[in-house]
Amino acid sequence: MSDVLAVDAVGLTKTYGTLTAVDRLSLQVGQGEVYGVLGPNGAGKTTFLRMLFGLIRPDAGTLHILGRTWDEHGIRALDGVAGFIESPKFYPGLTGRKNLQLLAGLDGGAGRSRIDEVLETVDLRGRERDKVGGYSFGMRQRLGVAASLLRDPRLLVLDEPANGLDPAGIRDMRALVKRLAGSGLTVLLSSHDMAEVEEICDDVTIMRTGAVVYHGSIAALRAKAPEQAHEIHTTDDERAALLARAAELEVTRLDDGLAVRGPQPQIDALVAQLIGEGIALRRLTRRETPLEALFFMLTEPDTDPAAPELAITGAAR
Amino acid sequence: MTITATTTPQPTATAPDKRRPGVGAALRWEIVKLAAQIRSRALLAVALIIPPIVVAVLNGQQQPPSDTIYGRHVHDSGYAMPLLMLAWAAQWVLPLLAAVVAGDIFAAEDQHGTWKTLLTRSVSRTHIFWAKTLTAIGYNLLVLVVFAGGTIAAGMLIVGTQPLTGLTGQAIASGTALRLVVTAWATTIAPIIGFTALALLLSVRTRNPAFGIAAPVVIGFVMQLLGSVTGLDLTRKFLLTTPLEAWHGLFAQHPFTGPLATGLAVSAGWTIICLAGAYLSLRRRDITGG
Ligand SMILES: Nc1ncnc2c1ncn2[C@@H]1O[C@H](COP(=O)(O)OP(=O)(O)O)[C@@H](O)[C@H]1O
Ligand SMILES: [Mg+2]
Repeated sequence: MSDVLAVDAVGLTKTYGTLTAVDRLSLQVGQGEVYGVLGPNGAGKTTFLRMLFGLIRPDAGTLHILGRTWDEHGIRALDGVAGFIESPKFYPGLTGRKNLQLLAGLDGGAGRSRIDEVLETVDLRGRERDKVGGYSFGMRQRLGVAASLLRDPRLLVLDEPANGLDPAGIRDMRALVKRLAGSGLTVLLSSHDMAEVEEICDDVTIMRTGAVVYHGSIAALRAKAPEQAHEIHTTDDERAALLARAAELEVTRLDDGLAVRGPQPQIDALVAQLIGEGIALRRLTRRETPLEALFFMLTEPDTDPAAPELAITGAAR
Repeated sequence: MTITATTTPQPTATAPDKRRPGVGAALRWEIVKLAAQIRSRALLAVALIIPPIVVAVLNGQQQPPSDTIYGRHVHDSGYAMPLLMLAWAAQWVLPLLAAVVAGDIFAAEDQHGTWKTLLTRSVSRTHIFWAKTLTAIGYNLLVLVVFAGGTIAAGMLIVGTQPLTGLTGQAIASGTALRLVVTAWATTIAPIIGFTALALLLSVRTRNPAFGIAAPVVIGFVMQLLGSVTGLDLTRKFLLTTPLEAWHGLFAQHPFTGPLATGLAVSAGWTIICLAGAYLSLRRRDITGG
């Protein structure tokens, strides 16, 4: 049983009119994995997850969820699967607890103590008697996780769970997902944030306008990432750029200042050299992380994902 | 704030003796939601309160509303009141009663964005379709019973249990009159289920509660107009409003039930077509909202 893939999608395609929202997507998630589906807004992450939950029908391709398919098993395809799509929605006129109780009823029911337990897990104890209409966005998001946990899933599917949260909310949500992932659950997490996926996931599929542009482990991705870039502002950016190029750093002129990319020791040496040359350093800041830089290169519309230096789509397992 | 994951999710091993949730689970869920809804409770209250008030007001009026069937008999027999009310209600009140819950019950999920919440549990679209349909029909029949019961009781209590004059001028004894009045109201069950099905279809198709509620009333009104146009006899036969008048034959000297049988068949036809349309639409639809 455990050698059955949690998710096995092959050639999944969904079009809306002339727009191909998901274009021949193939991905495999093994049981126990913590898997990220990463892509900018509009990449097709939600469309893929809607197909997984049977909310929309693929136009082509096959999809097995814990070995089951929608065509063959109907709603049983979701046995052992829980999660939510975009922001979870509840009945605003009912309390948090009542919503959970009713949703559990659709799964055969859950005892009071089990509901207390999941409320505890997502830190909503004390607010469960308030109507959901009065909940903050973050509370609804956490209630969505609670509602999913009530199903005792083997596969937890979360579609950008930290989206729209404030920084504290993001931190808490990530901590919660990490804990759940640590408990042996298979997690399929979608995100537009490389840092989030890097922090939580082992493997990742990166999508851009419906198509896969990378597929493999985070570790392998990290190896392909460019060096860390720094932004520097000096009293003489012209000369600073010349010195940086001479030091074999990759230099980009910005509207204001320079971006230099290269190994840390070389950056350090450049800074010392600038001072020695009488050029004052006004500001030195890290730009996006190397993985983020790679993510932008892979997914930004003006880059060609087929360009040789970026053609890093990993082989399917 | 700290979040603690105290639960270790267990692999789902659905115990063989634990029954899979189905229509029953979905039905319980719908009924609880309906009971919590202010609108559904308000409509029941209106169905309970309005009849005695209308009956009392009519009874106090010098001039009976003689342009409607049984209008000029309202002071003579308590059984004329519920028949006058039935004739009035058939114009737009019954379609409205049928649509208030049914027109909203599917579209409300679109309004709240909760389709995805429902459909990612263990019940299928088919289960949810039947649960909602049965809830709406059951609720509408309850409202009908309350409304009809209140009207009949108010007529008997406020005006009295005098014999009723039949449509061909014959006298109908009190006991027979009560039975006929109850039967007359009962004949609206089939067309009300038809209107419920129409509202359910519109609720699924339009995904808009306001439209789902208002449209059946407007459609009922248009049907009334069409039915009153002379020369459209065949069309009239297939209108969902015609069965609402089929009870007239019960009050003739020699009662005739032909229109009732036709009305039953026409109502069943509308019900089946509307429910089939709603079901297929819900089954096929892409849930992309919410
Ligand atoms: N119901 C729909 N009708 C038309 N286009 C849609 C619909 N849903 C999604 N799309 C389009 O499909 C693409 C992928 O959307 P989505 O899966 O929501 O992306 P993501 O979740 O990665 O942000 C987008 O271009 C979006 O506009
Ligand atoms: Mg999305």
